[in-house]
Amino acid sequence: MQNLLRSKDFWSGIMFLAFALTGIVVAHGYAMGTSNKMGPGYFPVALSLILGALGLVLVVRAFFIEGEALSRFRLLPLILMTIGVVVFGFTIEQYGLVVATVLTIVIACLAGRESGWIEVALIAFGLAAFSVIVFHTLLMLPLQVWPDF
Amino acid sequence: MDLFHNLGVGFGVALTVGNLLYCFIGVLLGTLVGVLPGIGPVTTVAMLLPFSFTLPPESALIMLAGIYYGAQYGGSTTAILVNIPGEASSVVTTIDGHKMARAGRAGPALGIAALGSFFAGCVATVLITMAAPPLAMIALQFGPAEYFSLMVCGLVAAVVLARGSVVKAIGMVILGLLFGLVGTDVNSGVRRFDFGFTGLADGIEFVALSMALYGLSEIAVNLEKNGEDEAGEVAHIGNVWPSWADIRYCFPSILRGTGLGSILGVLPGGGALIAAFAAYTLEKKIAKPPRRFGDGDIRGVAAPESANNAGAQTSFIPMLTLGIPSNPTMAMMIGAMMIHGISPGPRVMTERPTLFWGLIVSMWIGNLMLVVLNLPLVGMWVKLLRIPYRMLFPAIVIFCCIGAYTVNSSVFDIYVMAFFAIFGYLCIKLDCEPAPLILGFVLGPMLEENFRRAMLISRGSAMVFLQEPISLAFLIAAAALLIVVAMPAIRAKREVALQEE
Repeated sequence: MQNLLRSKDFWSGIMFLAFALTGIVVAHGYAMGTSNKMGPGYFPVALSLILGALGLVLVVRAFFIEGEALSRFRLLPLILMTIGVVVFGFTIEQYGLVVATVLTIVIACLAGRESGWIEVALIAFGLAAFSVIVFHTLLMLPLQVWPDF
Repeated sequence: MDLFHNLGVGFGVALTVGNLLYCFIGVLLGTLVGVLPGIGPVTTVAMLLPFSFTLPPESALIMLAGIYYGAQYGGSTTAILVNIPGEASSVVTTIDGHKMARAGRAGPALGIAALGSFFAGCVATVLITMAAPPLAMIALQFGPAEYFSLMVCGLVAAVVLARGSVVKAIGMVILGLLFGLVGTDVNSGVRRFDFGFTGLADGIEFVALSMALYGLSEIAVNLEKNGEDEAGEVAHIGNVWPSWADIRYCFPSILRGTGLGSILGVLPGGGALIAAFAAYTLEKKIAKPPRRFGDGDIRGVAAPESANNAGAQTSFIPMLTLGIPSNPTMAMMIGAMMIHGISPGPRVMTERPTLFWGLIVSMWIGNLMLVVLNLPLVGMWVKLLRIPYRMLFPAIVIFCCIGAYTVNSSVFDIYVMAFFAIFGYLCIKLDCEPAPLILGFVLGPMLEENFRRAMLISRGSAMVFLQEPISLAFLIAAAALLIVVAMPAIRAKREVALQEE
């Protein structure tokens, strides 16, 4: 049992099953149609069934064959980086590119943990300047640069 | 001659100042990310996709293509000088290349890698020119049943060449197909799998998904490893021009590498990576005298480096003529075309001849630029190896954010990207390769559309896929591939082969 819960195959199977189940439950609400004239639900349900079967194979196989064990998770970098990305989304429209870039980079550098504060500041402001010049000035992308009060 | 007329059109497009510039930017960036370990061409193409929308489609594709084949040149530099593959496709180059560098022959190793790549690039360009028109002609005859089976065959091949478990790879393909179905169904107008978000009405944004899987989630995995793999001692380079004796000695290997690479590049699921590995294995078997492989034999650099460049370029053939991506980079090229409103497939050649021939000719020009960039300027690239990853990854994060946002000026796409970054991280931890998923995602809507149409024409009988001879042939090929991987002897070999990546 201990091994099962650390098996990559087992959890991959669970992931496939979860997606398959979601697919079937959601697509169930769409018209199925017939094989002649398929509705919007036909193909997704068919795919979800195949996916579910594959997930089941992985889960069952994990009971009999001991596969590779999961390596350790260190979630902090992932979480910090994702927060950085989300913060960019929250700030870009109202506060503009410069603020969003600096905030996101500071958070992302926390995820890296290896840079000192001076280096973080240099990277943040350097990249903010670079982004403004390249994306706003040169490529003329529709980006707000400064905060909008 | 049609061919010369077509090439004339191509030169007309590729030689404009603007396109020369974008070609140059492409190969320059390609070399750069090729040299730097930790960031590869797929990530770079994904990051640049959104910014290429501001360009005309010709320039956009010329630049993105340059990144892909440019990275094959850059990857060898790192492999030879520091014994770290700058790109996955340069792994085998480290074996003999770095031995040569330690014996003071880094220069000739770099030189032969660049010249071999250039030769392979030229041959591959000619091959594309010759093979693409007839292939597109054949593909124009395909009905929905043939197309469906062709895509199934392509997806199965992608599965076979993915690392790890076949079951997981098929699962990832199916999951990709399902993700591809999110959004408004063209036939009924029903919004599928939108979970109440209006931002999903047009489906999951391809740019956000690919940047999440190839940019962000890889960063998360890299940051997880404690400590950086510091670039070790950089070998002394010296004179980069190989001697005539070296060139004569390598020429058969370059030829074999080019041939093998060209073939493997065309196959669905193929591309630079598998080509390099196969070429090295072949050389070890048949090159005479075999004595010095693994011990700094220059042919062990020449063959895989020629092969990966040939493979990188011929993988454009199925993408351009059939609209079928053979690897994730090609999936992104298809994404780029679709965002410019071009539907990929055999019609691209006749309807957008400037795009088609311009892209092909630009590859030849790009290869020429690459030799110049890589041989005399190699010292400059080496300095870049000193950029530590902790300064590199914040840049990737921020470019992904800006890119995801600017495609549709939609904040929602940034959150979609964040979601798939977490998903991608889980997949990597579970050994589920993202490549089959991306291919499935791109092909999902087309697969469904052709399936529906074929079934409509046959009045609901699935036998149609077996009755049409071409369709049947594709399905038999797909089944044969699956059976072959399932056989224990081949399975063991495949595992060994893909392990060394």
